[in-house]
Amino acid sequence: MRKQKRELQSKIIQLGGLGFTLAYAAFIVWIYATEPRTFKEVTTGAEVAAGTYEINQEKFNSALNFFRREQFHAARVEWQQADPAQRDARTQFYIAYSFYREGWGRLYFDQELFKQGVEAVNRAIDLSSATTLTIDDPDLQMHTVAELKAELEQGLEHNWSEVNPLKVLRTRK
Amino acid sequence: MPQTNRSRNRALVDFVVLPFLFLTVALLGGLRIGAENGAFIFIAPPLVTLLLATLLMLLLIRAGLLRLHHWVGSDFPPLTNVAHIWMFITIFFASAQAFNSVLPERGLLHWLFSFFFLWTLWNNQFSSFDARRLLRSLTILFGTAFVLKHMLLASLYSPEGGWLKRVAGTLLQGVALGTLDAPTFAPLTGYIAFFTLALYVGGLILLAFAVNGETTVVTDPQVNNHQQLCP
Repeated sequence: MRKQKRELQSKIIQLGGLGFTLAYAAFIVWIYATEPRTFKEVTTGAEVAAGTYEINQEKFNSALNFFRREQFHAARVEWQQADPAQRDARTQFYIAYSFYREGWGRLYFDQELFKQGVEAVNRAIDLSSATTLTIDDPDLQMHTVAELKAELEQGLEHNWSEVNPLKVLRTRK
Repeated sequence: MPQTNRSRNRALVDFVVLPFLFLTVALLGGLRIGAENGAFIFIAPPLVTLLLATLLMLLLIRAGLLRLHHWVGSDFPPLTNVAHIWMFITIFFASAQAFNSVLPERGLLHWLFSFFFLWTLWNNQFSSFDARRLLRSLTILFGTAFVLKHMLLASLYSPEGGWLKRVAGTLLQGVALGTLDAPTFAPLTGYIAFFTLALYVGGLILLAFAVNGETTVVTDPQVNNHQQLCP
């Protein structure tokens, strides 16, 4: 009877130990795969993995105000703080849009900003692959990631239309 | 009752404490702290550390610290076998990461350190070892590498200019140290490496105690033969 109890206890410890250390090993593999740089990034990453990640709505709204006042750089800083893990499609869409608006010029487009815009819009596409992301914002003239991506990529293309003098009449979306 | 406690404690050490300890070594062995911004830098174990860990595992088996035949076999329940194999895996990765923590990250020094580790472990394969001797040898090996990397080399490459840098600068005036290039990390990296190595050696000592608790380790082959002849 006592021996049976001992064996049962040992089995419980084996199972518990195995489960606990396997979970710990998975955490270590995850840490090395994601390479967080701070404790904050570790907690954010853990929230993403657990599915409890949410953006900071206050920062998002503050960024939107900057965006509407055409302070694009400040808006992006706020959005990056609102979505540090870059896991929110809507925030990434707005970041891409801010790159577009800041990089847009009547005579030329800022290639560096447009490239960063394409990266951000690609992130938004990846994050919203299951559903088509549509942003209902009356201040914007492009409401889907596809439109924004096409506009950004068009700005990066080099062709004869660049020397067309009528291009000064084009409008920013 | 003492028998129950002993078996419970033994199971706790074997299946919880030791794997947890070795996994912590695996976590911290590749951790460095950036000198400029204090950011975490995780360095996965280089291929050479896996080779070094394999040689070390062979040594641990030879010294009787790891008893494959006593821990894994068809006579044991599957769960016990799985738990023991899991412990071996954790020891393997802890060994790899222990080497990772004392190896310079790149350059000529990385290969020099790797070569010396390989040389030492390869030579040890042909020496007679018991658990106590091996533990002493490993403590000296990791201790020396720690002093060389985290004290001497860290001082040589410190951006503020450590004492060794000033001495080397005086001695090697006009000689470039470019080939001995190594990244600089925050001093906290040294503390983490020290803790990691202490944890690793501590884990091996605990393992040795666990093995000794199982049966008395006979280290002399003549005594072993005598025991086999006289039942």
